[in-house]
Order: sequence, then structure tokens, then C-alpha cells
Amino acid sequence: MNEAGQFEPKIVAYVCNWCTYLGADLAGTTRLEYPPNVRIIRLPCTGRIDFNLIVKAFEIGADAVLVSGCHPGDCHYTAGNYHARRRWILFRELLEALGFEMERIHFTWISAAEGRKWQQVVTEITEQTRKLGPYKNLYADTGNGSLPIPEAAPAVDQPAGSEGSLRQRCHQLLADGTVKVVIGYGTGGPVCVTKPADVGRLVWNNQCSSNLTTYLKRQEVRKLGRAAIVVKVCDERALVVLEKESQLDRKDLHVMGMACNGMGQPKCATCDVRVPRFADEVIGEVASVPLAGPPNAAPRGGAALEVLLAKSPAERMACWAREFERCVKCYACRQVCPLCYCERCIVEKNRPTVIDPSPTVKGNFAWHITRAFHLAGRCIGCDECTRACPAGIDLRLLNLSLAKAAEEHFGYRAGINRDVEPLIGAYSLQDKENFIR
Amino acid sequence: MSFTITQDGLSKLVNEWLARGKRVAGPSRVKRDCILYVPLQGPDQLLLEDFIRPANSLKEFLFPKHERLFGYRINGNGVELFELEPPKTEQLLIAARPCDAAALPILDQVFNWDCADEFYNRRRQLTTVVTLACSAHDDACFCTSVGLSPCAERGSDVMLVKLDRGKYEVRCHTEKGRSLMEGRLEPSDQVASEPLGPEKRFDPAEVREFVKHNFASAFWQSEGLTCLGCGACAYTCPTCHCFDIIDEGNANEGARVRNWDSCQFSMFTQHASGHNPRENQPARQRQRISHKFDIYPEKFGEILCTGCGNCTRNCPVGIGALSVLTEIGHGEHL
Repeated sequence: MNEAGQFEPKIVAYVCNWCTYLGADLAGTTRLEYPPNVRIIRLPCTGRIDFNLIVKAFEIGADAVLVSGCHPGDCHYTAGNYHARRRWILFRELLEALGFEMERIHFTWISAAEGRKWQQVVTEITEQTRKLGPYKNLYADTGNGSLPIPEAAPAVDQPAGSEGSLRQRCHQLLADGTVKVVIGYGTGGPVCVTKPADVGRLVWNNQCSSNLTTYLKRQEVRKLGRAAIVVKVCDERALVVLEKESQLDRKDLHVMGMACNGMGQPKCATCDVRVPRFADEVIGEVASVPLAGPPNAAPRGGAALEVLLAKSPAERMACWAREFERCVKCYACRQVCPLCYCERCIVEKNRPTVIDPSPTVKGNFAWHITRAFHLAGRCIGCDECTRACPAGIDLRLLNLSLAKAAEEHFGYRAGINRDVEPLIGAYSLQDKENFIR
Repeated sequence: MSFTITQDGLSKLVNEWLARGKRVAGPSRVKRDCILYVPLQGPDQLLLEDFIRPANSLKEFLFPKHERLFGYRINGNGVELFELEPPKTEQLLIAARPCDAAALPILDQVFNWDCADEFYNRRRQLTTVVTLACSAHDDACFCTSVGLSPCAERGSDVMLVKLDRGKYEVRCHTEKGRSLMEGRLEPSDQVASEPLGPEKRFDPAEVREFVKHNFASAFWQSEGLTCLGCGACAYTCPTCHCFDIIDEGNANEGARVRNWDSCQFSMFTQHASGHNPRENQPARQRQRISHKFDIYPEKFGEILCTGCGNCTRNCPVGIGALSVLTEIGHGEHL
């Protein structure tokens, strides 16, 4: 509020040191006038502007955020802005799914010579935000409905005889010393079988929905020696991502692929392959018909995501506020995820604190935004996070919104192709920038 | 001769409490596959039958997952501390499970041990607990193994036992309970039969004996192998009570807060030096069982478990305390 009691927007601008900051400086030295509503935060490069900073600005009261750096081709570090651009494309889709007011988030390229563009951009954004008014709906439960619930595919029996063949093969592998441990499904939960005599503990039925590849990151399991791991076609995608990210060497692993009839989970309703493609051996046979029609049949996200995205931003945010209210931060979502393998998670960093560790509305949004976006272009859709959540929060919808964005903007699906570079970490000169002015 | 109340009577009770601005919490279906204890907006949200138990525990209404303890302001070079308003809303916890209610006297001991926890005690005084005896149990339930039963009265002010659908026998155990139910009950000739509990699965004394003498046993290594190290078991446990204290605020002001914490996290015992005395998951699993069945009884004379089975139901990899305890009980460790 200003002295006359009128609303004055607060705008946080994250700018790169080499272009936009100098552009803003030039605006000053050439005495160009622009509204004083903008608070400039200077960072080395747009590539350094963590997505959490954008969220943080809103948390502490910004009404709009501006992110600006060097024009494509001008980056002081060669490609920082290209990397940033790719991340923004995906991050905007996540914020959309969460129900952020997108007209409050702005991206521009402003060079050191464009003092006038800086003046224009800041003036326009200030006026636009003034019309929008203060950002009241951030993390607000305005009481509109609840998240759509995805339909699960019917549970089907697994091919007869597969369980027997699996046990037999594992017995051989353990007996001849090919592997020291078999990570497989047991009654009631995963088991690590180390003795040939114990292979009877392995099962294969329609209760085997969990993704065992998460054990590959556990030091206790790694210590046991070379492992054989039982995977379904959906789990197998995690191996492809882990391999691309240099987290595993396939030589150290024997992959037992199981032909799968589906586990009766929502993920099975959008599954389009049934037989593992990258396994060292495949056990069992299933009809070659994909569960969900021909490969790449849209929409990949399923009907629930479509329903969510059809809601208004305020409704979407209300849905998530209501869901996240139940979050107790037990981090089961992180622990079951095969791709959350950081030894020390960003939420555990407390000198200084990066993500608010409290299970409050703000802290829970901060955590779930971080978790989802750290899996952008990486999540393979095994839905373990959702299955593990004791509060029944449907995290899959956030993952799906990012997977859909990756597919739409980059034709990319994580863990499908062993020859394609990871989505984040690469860039293309052709990445779309119609949202950047 | 007994006293009874109908479902309509309970609805009326809920409505009256809510109308007076008090809080009522009970089991409710928050979405298709998820039943939790939540603050109720109205009696229609209250779920009384046809489920085993909520996936969370009652403790969060006395020991919330996030609580501000005191505030601070920074003035120049000084810091000014200020008290926060203590909780003052009366609350009714309705249709609680006996295994949740039994946890409250256990928590009372912890929160009044070396210092009396003002916030907890205040909430406890403001709370009335109406339990509903269990009429069903599943494979994860084991109250009978830890000395409780589907109608154990410990921690309850009032206990309801199902007679027919929508009709309950009322047993008032405390003065608080009697005054709550005054004028709401009807005399009846019907007496509810004692509900059937799960079979006994293990003996806590044996478990205690085992954990006391087998700290370095290979049993823990194999048991803890598939544990993924999340806090789902501890956070849904009615008796787990560990918390972390942090300062939350900006450069000018803030608050000291406590948040739930779990011994299953690697950060829980991480020293500033980088050393971690419980360096792997099996060690953390062992700690959880030891604390519940040996360390806590040593200090307070009773075990820290009410057999609700939440740890087992909520474990993403199907471990929970029960599988460990039964294996100890069966001598499979030998």
C-alpha cells in the first residue's frame, strides 16, 4: 500500500549479472524513469536461478516475479540461458498444474544495451500486476472441490508358470555365483534372497506393484554384492534413467524382466508395453496386445490429469492446498522413489535452510514442488510415491503434468530410449520461447 | 441393565459441540481409499463402521505435527522473546480406536517426565475421548499381544460398544465422560457382547529379553535390509513422540517450533562432526524396536506400543513392527 492507501505491487526480479543487470544499470545511468516497485536480485546467470527462488519470492510476499537474462547466444557461460529456458518450459507446466497465477510470472531476455527494454518491461509488469491486485490465492484453499481420482485398471492374474520359472532361474544364478543376491517380491513385501535354498520366498502375482529398483540406491543392499533384480516393464524404465545418469553400471546387475499382465493400478491403465525390453532375460509370456491400446496413444496423463487441468487456477490450488494439508513429511514419497538418490536431500540442508522443513501449508508446497520438479524429465511414472503416501496424496498428478510437458514440448519420455540424452542437462537451440519476451 | 446411544444421538452431540465453537475430530473418509482422523465440519463426515482403523493416529490432536513454542523479535542488537497464546479450544475426539486412546496415558508420561510440557498438558485437559470398541480386525492388528483388547478402556473417557447397526452401548469411565453423556443416554436391557480380538502373536517380555541381549545380532541386518528409511511408521504410530526443534522466521521475527521427527531418518542421529552412530537402516530399525520394547519399559514401566498395526499397514514395503516382533517370537532369529 502506498501513502494514499492504494495497492503498490511488489515485484521481485531475478537477473543475470552480465546482461540484464547491466541493462537495468544502463536504464539508471541514462536517467530512464521506471516504477520503483521492482526489487532486483542479481545472480551470476539465469542458469543459476533455481526454480525454488521463484516460489520463495511469492512465499515472502511478491505479487509478481520477473526472471531475465542474456539473449540466446549471448550467455557469458556459453549456454546457461539455454539450460534455464528448457527448465522454465517444464517448470511453468508444473506451476500451471498446481494452480499458480501464471500472469504473475514473467520471463525476458534483456541485454546490457537494452536499458529502454528494461524500462518498458518493468513499467508494463508493474501496471499489469497493479490491475491484478495482491496475490491472495497463493496456497489458498478457497474451498472448491477435490482432486480427481484416477481409475485403476482391473487386476489380472499373472501368466501361469512364471513364478516357478523365476524361482528356478534365481536358484541357478545364486548357485553358480552369477549373483550374490536376488532382489525380488515376497509375500507382503520385497525380499532380498541370498541363498539358493531360499528362492521359495520369491513370488510373482498381481500384488507385485512396487518398484524394486529403488533398492539399487540402498548402501545396505549394495554391500551384498552383484544383484539380480526383478522388474516389470514400468520399473525397467528407472534402470534406463539411472544408467543415463551414471548411477549404475549394467555390468554389475542382472535384470530379470517379468512379462506382466498389469497390477490393477492406475498406471496400468496407461501402460502401452507389457514385456521388458532391456532385461538380461525375460520370464513368462503375455499376449502381445498392449494394455492401453497402441503405443503413444494420448493422453498419456490419463483422464484425471485432464480433469485437473480443466479446472480454474484457483480451484487447482485449492485442491492441492487441501491435499498437502494432510502431508506429515514422512518422506515416504522420496524414499520409495528409485530416482530420488541424493545422499543428502535438499530438504535436509539446514545451513542455511533451503526448503522449509515444517509440515505447514507453505513448507508442504515447497517440498512437493521441489520433489516433483527434481523429477522433471526423469520420473518414469511407477507411481510409487502415491502408493507409499500414508495420507493418500495423489502425487502422481504432479509427475504426470511434467511427463506430459516433456512429451508435448520435447517428444521425450523418460526411460524409454537408452540412446537419448537426459532431458534436463541437454538443450536445443530450437527450444520454444514463445513465453519469453 | 445398560445405557445406550444411537447414531442420531452421536450426531446431535457432534452438532452441539461444533455449534459452541469447539473442535470435534474423528474418523472420516478423506478420499476413496483413505480414512483418517480429521477435524470434522459436521456429523455426516463421521465414519463409524465398516473399516478397520484410520491410517493416522490420534496423537496429532494433542501433539501436532507442527507447533509454535514461543516467538522472537530482533530489536537492534537484542532479541525479545514472547509467549504464544496457549491452546484453549475444547476438543472431542470421537469414535477413537481403543489402541489410539490407550496411547494417551503413555504419552502423558513422556510429556511430564523431565519437564511438564505446557502445550501438551493444556491440550490434554481440554480433550475428551470417546472410543468405539473395534468390531473387526485385520492381519496387521495385534492389540491382544501387547496386553490390550478391542474394548480396552485405557485412555477413554467414554467407550461405545456396538449393539446393532447405529446403536451403541455406552460405558462411561471417567467423570469427564459422565458429564459429556449426561442426559443423552437411554436405559436398555441389551448388553453388548465382548468383541473378538486378534489372536495373540508374540509375547512382549520375550521381545524385551531378545533385544536386551542381541544388540549385535545378524537378525537386525536381515530384518532392516528392505527398510527404505521413511517415517511412515513413526508418523502414523499413536505412541511415537520424537520431535525436532527449529527456528522459523525471517531477519526480524519468527518462532521456535517443533516438528515431528523419526528415528528412521539418517539425519536423526547425525552429529555435527559428520559421524553417525546409527549408520545404517538395520541399526535404525533395531532402535525403533528396542525403544518400544526395552528402553521405554526400563524408564516408564510399560511398553511403547498399543498394537494398532499402523506401522505395518502404512509401510510401503510391508515391514512394520509386527513382522519383526513375530519373527522374534517364533525364534526365527535363532
